[in-house]
Amino acid sequence: MSTAETTHEPGNTLYLMVFGALLAIVAVEVVLTYQHLATGTLLTALLALAIIEATLGVAYFMHMKYEKRILFWALIPYLLLCFIMMNHIWRDASRVIAHPVQSP
Amino acid sequence: MGDSQMSMSAAHAATMEPTPFGMTSKKLVMWLFIIADAATFGAMLFAYGYTRASAVEWPRPFAFFPSVVNAMVMTVVLLTSSLTMLQAVSAARRDDRAGTAKWMWITIGLGALFAGLHLREWFNMFKEGWSLSANPTGGTVQFGAAFFSITGLHLAHVISGVVALAVIAMMFKKGRLTAGHIETTGLYWHFVDLVWMFVFPLMYLLNAH
Repeated sequence: MSTAETTHEPGNTLYLMVFGALLAIVAVEVVLTYQHLATGTLLTALLALAIIEATLGVAYFMHMKYEKRILFWALIPYLLLCFIMMNHIWRDASRVIAHPVQSP
Repeated sequence: MGDSQMSMSAAHAATMEPTPFGMTSKKLVMWLFIIADAATFGAMLFAYGYTRASAVEWPRPFAFFPSVVNAMVMTVVLLTSSLTMLQAVSAARRDDRAGTAKWMWITIGLGALFAGLHLREWFNMFKEGWSLSANPTGGTVQFGAAFFSITGLHLAHVISGVVALAVIAMMFKKGRLTAGHIETTGLYWHFVDLVWMFVFPLMYLLNAH
């Protein structure tokens, strides 16, 4: 039986570039926080930047980019589906805030 | 070799297929664990989002200094530890055992530094009156419940990761483990870093004043 592991290594230059990109994204997040944006706008921006960071980390630091494609397709779509299904809670959050329970 | 042993070997060989993922079982299992743990953290963050979205008022207790600055330093420390972990994996692939141990101990030190900074911040918040069920400003206590449970779960992952890294480093240096073990442990450490990429903006920056 052969596992035939992938042994491709991106190299230090690429690692440092990704590291620099991640630091830059963190700096952008902090700057955006103090721009007096609406909470919803800030949340959207921070989430988008966090997803970019996660993508860079998974692809290069965790080597997903250099693994067989089947690993990506077996794992990531399921996780994304989980997160998409969790979004059903927001209607209830709106209901709760529109009709707060009065204390006795 | 008897006929029964030959047929057992042949049967065994027939049922063993090469893995379609092109990796060892331990690496695949680590990926599966990471996906499950990511779903757990995702659920915790969604629950925090629901709690916040349905709250009439929500505290924003984190001043730029020292809270946000401290969190930024923690983020840089954790990102750097991922970089040093990559160096450890590279050294392990070259069978440089001393180099691997060196980079892993640097990673362990950075992980311990992260945990120390985090615990220092927690104790400062406890002194101010914050806890899982207390809000010193008199507002909703759900902020404390969300903050301490999510950051606490992440801190538990960091501390257990630091312990695991130390054990793996010592065993690898003694020649009892392979580069595959270092890489698999590295996957866990990078995951812990990636979770922080979500916790930092959602828990700290969205609650900064």
